[in-house]
Amino acid sequence: MSATAPSRRVARPDEPPPSRFGVAMGVLFVVMTALSVVSTGFSLDGIIEDLGRRNDSISGLLNIDLSVITSTRTLTAFVETLQMAVVGTIIGGAAALPLALASTEVGARTTTVRWLVRAFNNVVRAIPDILWALLFVAMVGIGVLPGLLALVFFSIAVTTKLTSDVLDGIDLGPVEAADATGAAHVAKLRTAVVPQILPAYSSFLLYNFELNLRASAVLGLVGAGGIGTRIEFYRSAGRWPEVWGIIVLFFAITFVVERLSIMFRRRLV
Amino acid sequence: MIQFSDASVTYAGGVHAMQHLDLTIEQGEFVVIVGLSGAGKSTLVRAVNGLVPLTGGSLQVDVRPGRSLGGRSEGEPTSYDVVGLTGRRLRDLRAEVGMIFQGFNLVKRTTVLNNVLMGRLHRVPTWRTLLGMYPADDVELAMRALERVEIVDKAYVRASNLSGGQQQRVGIARALAQEPSIILADEPVASLDPPTSHAVMRYLQQINREFGITTIVNLHFLDLATRYADRIVGLRNGELVFDGPGSAADEHVFRDIYGRSLTADDVMGEEERGGDAEAVVTPPTSPA
Repeated sequence: MSATAPSRRVARPDEPPPSRFGVAMGVLFVVMTALSVVSTGFSLDGIIEDLGRRNDSISGLLNIDLSVITSTRTLTAFVETLQMAVVGTIIGGAAALPLALASTEVGARTTTVRWLVRAFNNVVRAIPDILWALLFVAMVGIGVLPGLLALVFFSIAVTTKLTSDVLDGIDLGPVEAADATGAAHVAKLRTAVVPQILPAYSSFLLYNFELNLRASAVLGLVGAGGIGTRIEFYRSAGRWPEVWGIIVLFFAITFVVERLSIMFRRRLV
Repeated sequence: MIQFSDASVTYAGGVHAMQHLDLTIEQGEFVVIVGLSGAGKSTLVRAVNGLVPLTGGSLQVDVRPGRSLGGRSEGEPTSYDVVGLTGRRLRDLRAEVGMIFQGFNLVKRTTVLNNVLMGRLHRVPTWRTLLGMYPADDVELAMRALERVEIVDKAYVRASNLSGGQQQRVGIARALAQEPSIILADEPVASLDPPTSHAVMRYLQQINREFGITTIVNLHFLDLATRYADRIVGLRNGELVFDGPGSAADEHVFRDIYGRSLTADDVMGEEERGGDAEAVVTPPTSPA
């Protein structure tokens, strides 16, 4: 094609005007942002000014105490965190598979079951991990157990949601074939449905494990065990160099776990 | 024996897919159902195993467990009144009826063997299925079914790695693994090229002759129908418009069934013509 401009305009339909919905959403976005800035008193000046002041947490960053990494208490807390994340993922993930199956048309034998399971899943998902931890601390006291329980429910919420989305897109041909062989319901799900979603489901479990590891840092703040307990201990004592030391270690571990997890997940799907 | 009496199916949208059908198919017959798309062919075969429920009339299916792969002894004949059949009884009936699909309906991510073992689900305890621990006898039976369609060398290959013709043979093996007394095939060759289609039809014919399994096949191609059918049933708008031996079905009959002149699209063609001749035509070389 030459670069010369065409001498004739191709006859074309009128360009449609922007959709009303699009315009409305755009206006809404601008208005919401403006209202939020005004009502929260957000200002960049304030942030810059505060950062310039003397600040223990920031100055702790300059002399990070990495020796906390080798202390037995910190290491024990880390092992606790890993254990919580592993067990939480396994138990929550195991519960998530039947819950995800039962929330779909293929998996639920009756509409009533499907709606009940969906309602349950929605409730579990609506409660954030830290709130689960607070609830379980109130129920069973502080320690690893409430943290573990919180992660179980958090895992159920995450993995169920992701898995049921995948279930909506499976090939129904094998399901019909299994029905035609006279297979029982559970056997049908196991042979015609689960193999189709297994790679995605395994990938979600790994992703869930990453999330659990990160969540466990926060759960300790409310007394639910793990490395968060140590962070909270040093933070409340104002010992910021130690806090940053733990955060560096935590960063290193989550980075490694995430890399490994991504590597495995690539091979799965 | 399969007996439709004044049977009707009306779908929720008001489509009459089967209208006052009276049809009796004897044990061991090889019947080909012909008709245009939407004539009610799929509805007819899916009614036999209750995948599509009748909305009127009655349907009786008698199964007589006969000679089969595992040498299952001839059991007592059982009679099923398909209308209103649910739960365990419906699954018992379905276990006696193998089904082959146009799209093969295999689980593509898993092995050929696992797909064929699906044909054993009715016999295997659920806990074993859940753990994937199938009894050795059932695995043996699945292997025999694969051997019957000459594809046992692919037992541990992922189904997605097979060609269309090979996948359909796995579909036949899955049905065969049920040790059925009836096999239903819904447009089994519509996604295959001519040589492969002939091979699949031959397998169905051989299985029908060898084991005395009643076989009902939906086909669009009239040359395939006349070549393989003992009996041809023509459907038009859900009504029976022809019922006779394959030899009696000439071009005029098809013109009646299709309600229009025949075109090249209504003929599959000989196996010599057509696309790539895959391993289906010649028996696969067995691993040394």
